[in-house]
Amino acid sequence: MHPFDYEAPATLEDALELLAEHRDDAKLLAGGQSLVPILNYRLAKPRVVVDINDLPLAAIRVADGHLSLGALVRYHHLEESADIARHCPLLKEAAALIGNVRVRTLGTVGGSLAHADPAAELPLVLIALDARVNVRSAREHRTLTARDFFAGYLTTALAPDELITDIEVPVLGDAGYAVEEFARRAGDFALVAALAVVRVSARGRIETARLAFGGVGSTPLRVGAAEDVLVGHEPSEERLARAATVAAAALEPQDDAFASAAYRRLLAQVLSRRALARAVARALEVA
Amino acid sequence: MIVSFVLNGRARDVDVLPSETFLDVLRDRLGIFDAKEGCDEGVCGACTVLLDGRPVSSCLVLAPSVRGHRVTTVRGLERGAGLHPLQDAFVKHGAVQCGFCTPGMLLTALAFLERHPAPTRADIRTALEGNLCRCTGYAKIVDAVEAYARGDSNGG
Amino acid sequence: MADAPTRPSPPARTDALTLTPALRVVGQPVVRHDARDKVAAATAYAADWAMPGMLHAAVLRSPHAAARIVKLDTARAAAMPGVAAVLTAKDVPRNTLATDVPGQTTAVGPLRATLHVLAEGRVRHQGEPIALVAAETLEGARAAAEAIEVEYEREPGVFTPEAALAAGAPRVHDTGNLLAHWHVARGDVTGGFARAAVVVEGQYETQFVDAAYLEPESGVAWIDSDGVITIRLSTQVIEHFRDVAEVLDVPQNRVRVIGTYLGGGFGGKEDVTVEVYLGLLALRTGRPVKMVWTRQESLLSRAKRHPYRMRYRTGALASGEIVAQQVELLADAGAYAYLSALVLLYSTVTAAGPYRIPAVEVDARVAYTNNPPTSAMRGFGAMQTVFGYESQMDRVARALGLDPVTVREVNALRRGDVLPVGQVIETHAAVAELARRAWDELGPPTPPRAPHIKVGRGLSCNFQPYGRIVWLHDWSSAWVGFEMDASLVVRSGVPDVGGGQASSLCQIAAEVLGVPLQSVSIHISDSALTPLAGTTTASRQLYMSGNAVLKTARELRAQILSVAAPMLGADAGDLAMAGGAVHGPGGRTLPLPEVLRQCARAGVPRSHLAVYHAPAGEPVDLARGSGKVFPDYTFGAHAAEVEVDTETGAVRVLKYAAAHDVGRAINPQSVEGQIQGGAVQGLGYALMEEVILEDGINLTTSFASYLIPSAADVPDITPIVAESGEGLGPFNARGIGEPPIGPPAAAIANAIEDACGARVSRLPITAERVARALGLVV
Repeated sequence: MHPFDYEAPATLEDALELLAEHRDDAKLLAGGQSLVPILNYRLAKPRVVVDINDLPLAAIRVADGHLSLGALVRYHHLEESADIARHCPLLKEAAALIGNVRVRTLGTVGGSLAHADPAAELPLVLIALDARVNVRSAREHRTLTARDFFAGYLTTALAPDELITDIEVPVLGDAGYAVEEFARRAGDFALVAALAVVRVSARGRIETARLAFGGVGSTPLRVGAAEDVLVGHEPSEERLARAATVAAAALEPQDDAFASAAYRRLLAQVLSRRALARAVARALEVA
Repeated sequence: MIVSFVLNGRARDVDVLPSETFLDVLRDRLGIFDAKEGCDEGVCGACTVLLDGRPVSSCLVLAPSVRGHRVTTVRGLERGAGLHPLQDAFVKHGAVQCGFCTPGMLLTALAFLERHPAPTRADIRTALEGNLCRCTGYAKIVDAVEAYARGDSNGG
Repeated sequence: MADAPTRPSPPARTDALTLTPALRVVGQPVVRHDARDKVAAATAYAADWAMPGMLHAAVLRSPHAAARIVKLDTARAAAMPGVAAVLTAKDVPRNTLATDVPGQTTAVGPLRATLHVLAEGRVRHQGEPIALVAAETLEGARAAAEAIEVEYEREPGVFTPEAALAAGAPRVHDTGNLLAHWHVARGDVTGGFARAAVVVEGQYETQFVDAAYLEPESGVAWIDSDGVITIRLSTQVIEHFRDVAEVLDVPQNRVRVIGTYLGGGFGGKEDVTVEVYLGLLALRTGRPVKMVWTRQESLLSRAKRHPYRMRYRTGALASGEIVAQQVELLADAGAYAYLSALVLLYSTVTAAGPYRIPAVEVDARVAYTNNPPTSAMRGFGAMQTVFGYESQMDRVARALGLDPVTVREVNALRRGDVLPVGQVIETHAAVAELARRAWDELGPPTPPRAPHIKVGRGLSCNFQPYGRIVWLHDWSSAWVGFEMDASLVVRSGVPDVGGGQASSLCQIAAEVLGVPLQSVSIHISDSALTPLAGTTTASRQLYMSGNAVLKTARELRAQILSVAAPMLGADAGDLAMAGGAVHGPGGRTLPLPEVLRQCARAGVPRSHLAVYHAPAGEPVDLARGSGKVFPDYTFGAHAAEVEVDTETGAVRVLKYAAAHDVGRAINPQSVEGQIQGGAVQGLGYALMEEVILEDGINLTTSFASYLIPSAADVPDITPIVAESGEGLGPFNARGIGEPPIGPPAAAIANAIEDACGARVSRLPITAERVARALGLVV
């Protein structure tokens, strides 16, 4: 790979100063699972690589109905953490779908978000749960909603001098959840992913519903129209199927070399129906 | 820059460039060819090493990142003058053809079995799904891992 | 993935159908000597090599599929620090290699296929090499390659064989776009169709795929102290030292190729890969040079498998008997010929399948395009046709209401039958019984695990030639010799691609000479130091080098026994070699070292060099269907059970049985491994592998986009190793390297139709294609 200057700041302030100084000439190194392949392929030739792995950004905390995850929390932590299993097991289910075991050893929450692959699992979870992303620069702190954070295909709202410090994810409580993904081969990126989070009242009606998709647009996205179909109704098979149909109709996936838009739409319909069914089943278990 | 780490139980201090991968360090600086270069993007698993006991793609680890960590490669598995029982099992069960995927398979399987000592064949296949093999069709690799996990004497 | 049953992979069903004296080493699942080294990561592959003062090399390749090079300036690159050499076409002593394309018909005329080491003025495919760089570091070489200034003028290109053969199409080569044309006709197809109860027509399309070995193309070259240009690389053909010598314009005895244990070959390392570049750079710089292709580079530029469009018309009687088969094949040679004409020949000979059909017509063409070049790959043209003929057999069975096994049994070739090209089947043809065994091995049907899941099964039979075309006069040589302490050395030029090529030779030598397997050491694959054994391709090595070692060992045995006979006061014919000793009548025994000392005293060599010549034949005029093309065939049958998700089209293989008659299994464990590995490679071809090209531009140049099966994508393959005891190889073995890759695609397509009624005729059978065939997507 093309040579670069290497910095390994010990404090967040030092890291932010480096970003302020170098801006677009610098790339952040966290897990390296997205950065190093493009360095290996010589597609990127940053002047400076800022290694942030020494920064104290790996905590998992629960407070005020939220889980706070530091940007350097690794995917395997999401799979293994007792706090996550109790408070937001959706993260655990999604993390198990990410890449392969080696990616999960080193890949980080912050890295996944910064890369902003529309088919990736963590951005999908954040969109579905309306998570918040805390970013910092030497100038300021900002908190962005997930929707504002993911700006476009592989594009975030991060300024060149900003980095993600942590995210806040609402505790799931008694909501049921499920991720359904379709990949062409085990461990491959998802062609389409559907994520459902559903809360069912004591009277058996859907109180809240989140339905989000990956791989069908330039960012992961929720389909509010489908969610509206569900809220206030009993979670019958027909109701879930109707929501899935509405969702599929609302999406505008693209043709690409690996799947046609029409097929992605079909997958979105089938996967969302299945995700909703599992989420509802979980919600009813908990109730 | 000098990077200090532990390799197969031995402390090492190696002069590296930050723009090298740890795979490059192993192969080109240390002359250790246990990890292979298969794809440069972390998909094939031929470059697998264990970092603090967990499998990583050494082709995606920049050289400075190993400082202070413990790295294991295949030669770190050997017991005295002999092979590790899992290596023996691979040999006995015909799990090795061209052998290029073998080091990665061994390390990944061992790391997996530390956490899951009694896997089903399906569990083993899932655990190894990130290590590609083009020669064996996987069946005999699964046989070897299963036999070792069962504790078959002499690798089964 | 749902859980597979927890049991060890089912033991292979193996049987010996003939009576032979008990063998001691051959036929045993012995541990391969290379396996121990490989688990310890002690095997030095081609890239596991460094030399003092070694330079690193990189290749500059064309980003365009069809263009003229209007400017090529290497000055800036050559001036960069650490750059030792930058070479273009003008720096190559003989830049153009030309080979006669064999056996052309008068329709095509004589044809010379040209290949340039480095592009001269014109590039014909994306990835075509333009310049070479050697520098002190790999990064320096790559940076310098990027600094070479090239200007291109794009030209119109052709990207399908149909477009290439249309009138007025741009010419890829001056000789025209039709590269080869084979035609076979036997019997009266028109009459056959007229009396058929059903006529099934189908068009089948197969895709470009990559060999995708885990070890990329790699090597190191240096100039030895005696001036010999030495190239140590991963190759299936060490005889390419001659190509290197020709390109470098040096005598052939000044180039040495050392073949390493390969990290996979599959035909992708059959053509020249890095050796010529390394030779050029080593000669130019006088220093050792290393070249390792990146995976991207390999996927981009290495030759692919020929894609085919196959049109079949099959006529059958109500009994299932096939009475006419008409086949039209059109293949894509890509931008350079390489081995395309031969691949097409294999397809032509096998197009009708392993069946006895009285009227067959095959018309096969291959055309140049500006796609990546296509060349050898496991199965070599006889693999793609299986998808055509076995899809047809299944559809005929359905049309007639017959079960798949019955239709094979009715039509299967038997000894004495004649192929459409006129070749008589001389050995046992096991198709029918293998079909039955593979099918039965599937056992009771798996119940669908959910209402939207359908389960089905499919059968696919094949035959694959082993051994080279008989008019190529194939041969292989071997050297076997005893050290004074009776340890044995085998020397053979055979490259070992990972299938146990070297290990089998040790078994054979140990068997014949009665020594323990552990006392045999083998040196392989060195063009200067081991007797040439020919290519590790065409499923020929066990047949050819196995026979070479067998012959050499037997002749050595006779030499040894001629000395031992008077020592034991017996006739040589009454002696046996076993347990590292010579045994005579009456229990008299001589340890081998004693006999060997006597050999030394008597001036009788303790070693022997011999050549095995395959029975040769005259070139066959395919148009007149007049004779033997291949020495023999390996017959097989695979059966698959799949589940289809009828909501998404996703296919999962639940059970898979693969039966082949291998004649005799020299090492049963290795044979199982070949069958399992080949079948899984075939499943990749069937379900997920595709080089996706858009106007000649490759969109799948990474392992993240070019998908090969992982352990979680395939079930256990149950190998059924049948041993008819008939084969042309040593101890009656047949070749098994290629045969298992042929049947899977059709087995899967047939199983899918059985499950849900959808017929997919285009590979790979992706979930989307199944979904479309089910009408889920319009």
